Amino acid sequence: MKRSLIWWVICGAVLASLPIFTSAGTLRIFIVANFLAIFAMSWDILSGYTGYISFGHPFLIGIAGYTTAILTRHLGTPLYISMPFAILLTMVAGSLFFFPALRIRGTYFALVTLAFMEVTYHLLKVVKPGVTGGTRGLSGLPFVVTGAVPNYYLSLFVMLAVGIGLWVLGRSSIGTVLGAIRMDEGAVKSAGLNPTKFKLFAFTVSAMVAGIGGSFYTHYLGSISPRAMFDITFLFTILVAALVGGEHTIVGPILGAYFLTFLLEYLRPYIPGAWRFLLYSVIALVVYYFAPKGIYSIFQGLSDWVGRRMRRGEQYG
Amino acid sequence: MGSLLELRNLTKNFGRLVAVSDLSLTVQKGETLGLIGPNGSGKTTTFNLIMRELKQDEGEIFFEGKEITKYPIQKRVKMGIARTYQIPRPFTEMTVAENIRVGIMPDKIISIMKMNIRDGLEREIGKSVGFKQHELSMYPYELSMGSLRRLELGRNMATNPKLLLLDEVFAGLTISEITGLSELLKEKKKEGLTFIIVSHDLRSLAPLVDRVVVVSFGEVVADGSFEEVIADERVKEAYLGKEEEA
Repeated sequence: MKRSLIWWVICGAVLASLPIFTSAGTLRIFIVANFLAIFAMSWDILSGYTGYISFGHPFLIGIAGYTTAILTRHLGTPLYISMPFAILLTMVAGSLFFFPALRIRGTYFALVTLAFMEVTYHLLKVVKPGVTGGTRGLSGLPFVVTGAVPNYYLSLFVMLAVGIGLWVLGRSSIGTVLGAIRMDEGAVKSAGLNPTKFKLFAFTVSAMVAGIGGSFYTHYLGSISPRAMFDITFLFTILVAALVGGEHTIVGPILGAYFLTFLLEYLRPYIPGAWRFLLYSVIALVVYYFAPKGIYSIFQGLSDWVGRRMRRGEQYG
Repeated sequence: MGSLLELRNLTKNFGRLVAVSDLSLTVQKGETLGLIGPNGSGKTTTFNLIMRELKQDEGEIFFEGKEITKYPIQKRVKMGIARTYQIPRPFTEMTVAENIRVGIMPDKIISIMKMNIRDGLEREIGKSVGFKQHELSMYPYELSMGSLRRLELGRNMATNPKLLLLDEVFAGLTISEITGLSELLKEKKKEGLTFIIVSHDLRSLAPLVDRVVVVSFGEVVADGSFEEVIADERVKEAYLGKEEEA
């Protein structure tokens, strides 16, 4: 515990001091990584913990993004009202996920959630394009803060606040029950617990986090469009970040998000266009093959190894 | 002694297969009932109906005099009914202590958040079902079948049961594990727990039970002391089949 606290303090200090020794361009990559980490954590608290694999998270993120975008663009609603409203609406939309989950799980649940995303994508293009902006989306949205450094600190703060909150939740008794649902839902019932309640709770929390991320991300970009939000590549980036980082750990998705974002960025000069995604997929597969529990497990292993070495040093030193 | 569990005319069909047919049964408080019968005779289905892991086609279930026919499984568990499975179902990525902890938890999210589980309560329960201190930190894949059955028993004990349904509790155990588990069950019986035990291992079952009910094709064919039912012609017929006349 003490050792992991030291690691966290070091990581926090490095992240907090980044703007001193990095360029605005690099900071912008970190901002994207922070948002991806929020989305991946949102996926993790639902799918990583309960085992209900969601393919519809862009739907939740999009609901938040579009709600706050429409409110600010067309009604001139201030951000401090539009963003909380968008988060609340996303939580309601999260409950929509819940209804199919009552009866189905596994592949079927994943497909139903994927359908949510696809249907929303097509609806946004044709229904009231004057409001949603149709295929072009909405642009010229207000920013929460401007400039790379303030945006970096804002995204870092939101990501860490969400991360700490979810980490505490994951380590609490509720996290234990959510994990038990993934392992054997029937056995959870026979231990006297109603999994439905806990799943609804996980869905709502997941939707809330997706809503937070979606609304901040939209006002960081200053624009939103259906192709960018409801894209299968966006969905798989979230999933791969959580899986490669280490699912049902909360910390893993943060590591996965940083790893993938920087991997994509550093591949950019060498491999143009969509070909980057091929190499990126291969690297992600290799990582997943050699560390099926994710990058987080590698760090944990390293930390344990250092701990053992230090104890041995104290013993014989 | 009053009746703890009463099954009235329970029937369950799977398509054209009759799994349980008009089954009526009463279990007294503090009693240990053996439920035996050949494979496919409806013993596990009866357990599934008592817990509402399956919904009966007909019939009613009463617990402590109250009708619970429509109660969901978790409500029945909170009332004091618990069960084990033929193949143990531990939470595979949790330690023994964590598995037991799940059984302690209340069924309300707010209560769980406020909950202040007495430190070590799960360890106390674990030890009461025969786990040693170091075994409480072990994972299910490190345990023998005997320990897995104890783990399930521990998770059940954490729910404070009044009636425990044990399904093939001796299956896959070594002789010493059977002896240890039998002693544990006797101890729990002395503490006032009521049991229904399904087992094919009649030799291990005999010293534990007060009464035995034999089912065949979902129907009760005999009900009495162990010696009585074993001597019953209908029971022999159920297990061995009818002797063909020459």
